[in-house]
Order: sequence, then structure tokens, then C-alpha cells
Amino acid sequence: MVKILGDLSPVYVVGIGFHPYQHASDTPYVALGLQAIREALTDAAIAWEDVQSSYVATALLGMAAGRPMLRHLGAHGQPLVHIENASASGSTAFRHACLEVGAGISDVALVVGVDKRTSPVFRAPTGVPSLADDAIVPATHFALLADEYCSRHNVAPEDVALVAVKNHANGALNPNAQRRKVRTLEEVMTRPIAGTLTALQCTPIGEGAAAVIVASEEGIRRLGIDAGRAVRVVSSAAGSEKAGNQTNPDTALSAEIMAQAIREAQIGPRDLDVIEVHDAFAIEELLYAEATGICEQGEFIPLLKEGAFDIGGRCAISASGGLIAMGHPIGPTGVGQVGEIVRQLRGEATGRQQPGARTGLAHMVGIGAVCYVHVLQK
Amino acid sequence: MRDTAKMMQTGLGDELFQPTGASGDSAPPALYGGRCNSCGYVFFPPQSYGCERCGSTKIDRTELDGRGTLIASAVVHRHLDPARPAPFIVGSMELERRVVVRGLIEAGQDALAPGCPMETMIVAETRPDRGSTDIRFRPAV
Ligand SMILES: [Zn+2]
Repeated sequence: MVKILGDLSPVYVVGIGFHPYQHASDTPYVALGLQAIREALTDAAIAWEDVQSSYVATALLGMAAGRPMLRHLGAHGQPLVHIENASASGSTAFRHACLEVGAGISDVALVVGVDKRTSPVFRAPTGVPSLADDAIVPATHFALLADEYCSRHNVAPEDVALVAVKNHANGALNPNAQRRKVRTLEEVMTRPIAGTLTALQCTPIGEGAAAVIVASEEGIRRLGIDAGRAVRVVSSAAGSEKAGNQTNPDTALSAEIMAQAIREAQIGPRDLDVIEVHDAFAIEELLYAEATGICEQGEFIPLLKEGAFDIGGRCAISASGGLIAMGHPIGPTGVGQVGEIVRQLRGEATGRQQPGARTGLAHMVGIGAVCYVHVLQK
Repeated sequence: MRDTAKMMQTGLGDELFQPTGASGDSAPPALYGGRCNSCGYVFFPPQSYGCERCGSTKIDRTELDGRGTLIASAVVHRHLDPARPAPFIVGSMELERRVVVRGLIEAGQDALAPGCPMETMIVAETRPDRGSTDIRFRPAV
């Protein structure tokens, strides 16, 4: 009989830490990562020696970037592994740390995402010819999906851009966000990139780090961790693209994996108080939010205009600023989403707190496509 | 891309289109897709590594009629690759047997709306090492 995360021993997030996401700089990745890890250890009030296993999420740093960073915390010989899964690298590392702790192999594990962006990203050739892959980059792919959605639901490009207006406003309230400036709709609509997508509706290229500490009840007891600030990981679901869906595989896959995570958490989509999705492009937040089931297909824009997805609305989406404003340094992003949700569920998101937040969902897709979804609950 | 190693890997060659139509010279240029002999799945681009639906390696090349329907389009205003200078238009087209293809479109944006009938056309290739011709889409007349 196969098991799900909920069948294992309960797993909690007990510490979170960040190096703010930022534009490309000369700061070595080692410094970015160490800052996030030390902040997470301090937040959990534990020592590095207490961490029994480490998961390092990185997509762009090349081979074995973890040890040259972790050794500066004290090289105690604990296992470490690197996880690369495109944009979902951090979410994937988080899942596997949760599985290790839930299975009782470790009581306390570190997940750290760290990256510095390089362009272009190297991917080995597959040997399969392509017609126009050099013309269709991610922004183009999502511009096509935006065109399709707008014509199907009779939505104006300015309506989709309102997602970015909301997320820039949220990012302005997050000290760890790369973009921290409130933007008007007029500003967002300038500088077109592809189709109706503009620069401020696209995630910026950047760098940074995010870390979380996960622990079992045994680990919490043994180390005297404050259980009142621990946030339980109630479900973890993952999948990859199936054959046959050739126009919008990310959304079809997301709907399936979100439904699985929500079902395994034994909640309904409308129980979600905070959601962080892979909003690398404004249209994505809309597609994935509808895929969660928090509203019907075509209902997102009217609800967005009513403020339903603002902080203080019925469900705060991208309260961190999302990938559009907080940023998307790749390896850290999925870990940072978990950090944001933990902060919200603890009631510690000063200045951008969703009132009464009890349940949150983190969603990432990675090129391929792969999808990872976690539900956390306080 | 026309190097021999790549052609041997994919088995079906790296040609993606022919200058003539699938149903005769008067039809728009046909695209080459793959068809799985085990489950019937039809796809583009062609490859013989294995069927994405069932894993079978019994795959043949199949000609896809160069006529389809526009699903979506977008004008690319900024593009980093200098071999593809912006602006240009890309689109998703549904061809026969539910195969979806993404490619460049030769048209004014005003002429394009989802559902619009489209067809292929041959143009001169401007990128280096890609042969002398390329295939584009345009609204069908
Ligand atoms: Zn097959």
C-alpha cells in the first residue's frame, strides 16, 4: 500500500530565513545562502549541529554548490543532496526533506534554495528538431495563453495586468522582495515584451536565497523548539506533464496536482486563506488560481476587481509579491513560498498579514513540465 | 540543424516540412509529424525515441496537411536572440488529427483572431546553418 505525506509522522516547519531577492550583484552565492540558513536557524532557535540532513535546491550554479557553502557553518559530516528541478527545484527539495522527516530517518532537516541567474541557461540538446523554439521563450508561451484566455472569456489585457498591480503592491510591503515599488495600471501597461505581456507583468531576473527548517514532533521535543510557532505540512503532491495536452500543459497539470494536495489535506479549495503560485507571468496567477478551485473558470477577474485576492480579501494570493514582485531566483523560489506561508500562518507577516490565516497553499511548476503543491496549516 | 549524428539519433531525420502539399502540389506545404504504430498517437515534431503516450518505438513519419486553425497569436516586441529580430508574430495552430504546432506567422496582427483558418507557406531561411527555406503560417485566403 503506497503512502502519502499525511500517513507519515507529522512534519512541521520550525524555522524560516531569507537573503532578500535582488538584482544581479557581485555577492557570491555562498554569502546569499549562509545568510538565509543562519536566519532560519535563529528563527527555530536551534544550532547547526542539530540539523541532521540538508537539501540544497539550485538550478544555475553548476555541480555540487552545497558543500562549499555549508562547510562555513561547521563541517560536521551530515548528509547533503542537491536538487535541480527547474523552477520547482526549491519545492522539490522541500517535499523530499518532508518525506525524510516524516519517515523518521531524520528529526530535523534543512532546505535551502540559492541561485544566481545566468543567461542563457544551458540545456543539453535532445536531438529532436524544432520548428521555432528559438522564437518561443517562456514570455511568448504565456503571451499565447493570455491571448487564448482573453478571447475565450472576453477579458481585456488591462484586466490581466491588474494581477501585476496587486502583486507589485504586495511586494512593496515585503522587505525580502526584489521589486518593492507600488505600480499603477498605467505603469504596468508600458514596455511590451510579447503580446499583451509587459515587463512589469514578467518576473525579473535576480538572485537570492531562502531556507526553512523542518522537524518532527520528536525533533521539536528533543530540541525544545517553540511548538506554538511550528506550522504543519499537511500535504505534498507532485506530478509531471502527460501526453496529449499540447496548448496549456502547465494549467492542466496544476489543476490535477492542486486537487490532489487539497484532497490529501482534507480541506476544500475555499478553506485556503493564503496562496502562493508560480506567477512568473501575470496570466499564470489567473490560470492557476482558477485551477485551485477557489473560483470558477472565468470568475477570477471579476473577483480580483472586488479585492477578493488582496491581503484582507477572501484569499490573499501572492501576499509576498509573488514571482512578479518578490522575484524568482529559481532555486530559492519554492522554499521562499513556504517561508511566506509560514510567516502568514504564524501571524507574523507584519504590514502584509492576511487576517486570521490558518491554511495556505504553495504551488510551483517547472519547465518540463513538473508541478509541486504543498498545503500548510496552523 | 542538419548534422548526421542528430539525424541518426531521431531516426526520422530532422526535416520538418516539404515544399509541396500532402494532397498534391496545389495544397499548402505539408509538415512532417510522427505517428505511433502501436497506439495511433500523432504528434509534432517527429521523433522515433519513443511514443509520448505509450512508449512504443514503432513510429513512422506522417505528412500533416498544412491547413489548420489559429488557437492564439502574439506579437513579440522584444527578443534576445539576434537571429530572430523583433518584432515578429508567433502563433499556436491546430492542424489535422488534433496536432498543435507553434510557429511564426506572416500577417498583420489585425488579420488574426482565434479560430481564423491558417495555412503554411515557404519562406527563405535567414538564420545560418538552417538550410535555404523555412516554413511559416498565414491566414488562409
Ligand atoms: Zn503510442
